[in-house]
Amino acid sequence: MLFNSIEFALFLPIVFALYWFATNKSLKLQNILLLIASYFFYACWDWRFLFLLMFSTLLDYFTGLKLDQVTNRRNKKIWLWISITINLGFLVFFKYYNFFIDSFAQMFSAAGLHFSPITLNIILPVGISFYTFHGLSYVIDIYNGKIKSEKSFVDYAVFVSFFPLLVAGPIERASHLLPQIKKERTFDYGRAVDGLRQILWGLFKKIVIADQCATYANLIFNSPEDFTGSTLIIGALFFTFQIYGDFSGYSDIALGTARLFGIELLRNFAFPYFSRDIAEFWRRWHISLSSWFRDYLYIPLGGSKGGTWMKVRNIFIIFLVSGFWHGANWTFILWGALNALYFLPLLLSNRNRVNLEIVAAGKTFPTFREAFNIAITFTLTVFAWIFFRAEDIGHAFGYISRIFTAPFFPVTVFEGIYQALGAAVVIVFFMLIEWKGREQQYAIAKLGFTWSRPWRWAFYSFIIFLIGMFMETNEMPFIYFQF
Amino acid sequence: MPEVRKFIKSVGIFLLFTTIMYFAYLFMWADFMPRFLQKNIFYRIGSTGYTFTRLQEVKTTQNVDVLFLGSSHTYRGFDPRIFAKHGMKSFNLGSSFQCPTQTEILLKRYLHTLNPKTIVYEVYYPTLASDGIESSVDIISNDKNDMESLKMAWKLKHIGTANTLLYAYCNELIGATDGFKEKLVKESDAYIPGGYVEKKAEAPKSAVLKQSPWRYDLNPLQVQAFENIIASIKKNNIRLILLQAPITKKLYQSFNKKEEFDKKMRGYGEYYNFNEILNLDDSLHFYDSDHLSQAGVEVFNKKLIELAFKK
Repeated sequence: MLFNSIEFALFLPIVFALYWFATNKSLKLQNILLLIASYFFYACWDWRFLFLLMFSTLLDYFTGLKLDQVTNRRNKKIWLWISITINLGFLVFFKYYNFFIDSFAQMFSAAGLHFSPITLNIILPVGISFYTFHGLSYVIDIYNGKIKSEKSFVDYAVFVSFFPLLVAGPIERASHLLPQIKKERTFDYGRAVDGLRQILWGLFKKIVIADQCATYANLIFNSPEDFTGSTLIIGALFFTFQIYGDFSGYSDIALGTARLFGIELLRNFAFPYFSRDIAEFWRRWHISLSSWFRDYLYIPLGGSKGGTWMKVRNIFIIFLVSGFWHGANWTFILWGALNALYFLPLLLSNRNRVNLEIVAAGKTFPTFREAFNIAITFTLTVFAWIFFRAEDIGHAFGYISRIFTAPFFPVTVFEGIYQALGAAVVIVFFMLIEWKGREQQYAIAKLGFTWSRPWRWAFYSFIIFLIGMFMETNEMPFIYFQF
Repeated sequence: MPEVRKFIKSVGIFLLFTTIMYFAYLFMWADFMPRFLQKNIFYRIGSTGYTFTRLQEVKTTQNVDVLFLGSSHTYRGFDPRIFAKHGMKSFNLGSSFQCPTQTEILLKRYLHTLNPKTIVYEVYYPTLASDGIESSVDIISNDKNDMESLKMAWKLKHIGTANTLLYAYCNELIGATDGFKEKLVKESDAYIPGGYVEKKAEAPKSAVLKQSPWRYDLNPLQVQAFENIIASIKKNNIRLILLQAPITKKLYQSFNKKEEFDKKMRGYGEYYNFNEILNLDDSLHFYDSDHLSQAGVEVFNKKLIELAFKK
């Protein structure tokens, strides 16, 4: 069940009505309802993997209890590693098995040894990278004494599988979400309206921006040899907006949906394309994943403490692992490595925490210097996205080399080029709204608050109209479902 | 939970407000925005194919001997003047890429008054494999819309068809198209009374390009509509002739499942495949890859009359 599907448009109001009218007298009942709804939501994709989700949930739930029970440090460690090994074991099997087998075969082949590997036709369970990380953060936090284990299985299971975040995040922390699940929730009119507003903006990002851009990005990336250099740059730009619209749109819908149930999820995006350097970009892009790696990998490795070599090593590790988390392909690893290279000069010169606030706060326009820095950061990001989008490394380098070696002009005329112009106009509209609302949680959070209600509603209606005018008839899946 | 009730009430009022605003935006957007920003609205009154003029004429036509149904192969392939010479009054109700989902509607609207003795239904494999969007918006844009249009849009479940229908309803409501008149001669095309579109002899010919193979699978929605049409024609005791109009050899050879399609069509009754019957010259009898020139139409129509009407 996709957020942008008719099924979800029916599912959400039904769960909402049951939650606030039928189960509102009991927190326990509300949580049971959320759990059933979440499992149903997940089973709509493939019910067989529901058992995997349940197993993972049970594993971490019991590990959590054990970690609290045992007092011996060594035994605690054993329990922790059992959980980590099994969780990561599933992740590696479902996500990386074929990648490792193929890579070994290629390595042997390069050494002149013949090796015929057995590859498996494995379906990647949707959301596995996300709920595995939920579980891991929970047991690691208990091990480190940051939180106590959760005694109620239902409450813990809701924490892992709450449907708005189940398949593509944000990656929650037990210390943030579990207290909300355990606390009685009262309906807040303003918060619910805010949730709907954020869902609307998320749908706009996904349906109008990402899906439009996907059509042209796919066309250009699928056969770069047919296009001129300038068109290939346009293709990379389309993908840049596609992935942002797709993933941040998903996150907005998830946050908005959770808010309808009185739950606040972690913010995942904070206008990353307005960043003035790569460090700022990574504080604004997929925040819940970046902070997860920071807390559970980077800091345990020593973080930015220690000598230069240690800093460089840690930065490379965190970016390579982050790239690899996205998928079993060398392109993602290279994408991570490239971002590490972008990041290192800032870290080594101690300039990685210069731009902490949003650009031009309280002003209409950025300074020339800020605009220049944004443009540079954006260009570096677009370049890195080519690796992220490419099918393999050869494809990525072929694409990049063609930008420089093929004739640059004219822009290649392809089927639907005038509609692509339409998509470009919509992107400009979108970025203007994003700029205007960049100091808020999401772009339209406060937009039009000084207008009278009819005007404000007319604006929201206009967004709905744009969705109707630009949507694809077939539902397009979210990119991050594959991770 | 009064707060929840207040919230639901507000959402309801907002949705009502949005429905009204959607019409308003659609109307303004279609009229004032450039085409490249109109991704999901395909309103084209008086577009190629003379559907508007044909559907105006059909409203004043009654009791014909032969009614032609089908795609552009129909309105560019059956010349009522040739049939008139053989003593048959005919009307050509073809439209651009007409799929069974649209033929069904046209029959519901006009079969009763046309009251034909024979229906010649041109079947073209791609129309049975199609989603039916192109044809649906052609008919929505050029005919009066009724409940049947709404049912068609519901069946197709395409946002472009839905928007086009909403816009067409708006236009009809305010009478925006009341005075519309279509030119009867457009570049090398001329509308001939009886629904036919003649390609003038001096029209430049498009090159008949090598076709890459078309891999079609029939669309169940279209097959269902097609079977409804057949049942309705048989129920009205009208003679039905199914046929494939000639297309260039290059295009014909590019289709897969040709024999399977022939076999399926034969199962519905009297059927002719003129790609197998006639041996036309791609450069002489066609002006593009799938439309006959006037010389081709003469040969095709005479052969049809000889085979189906002079037995």
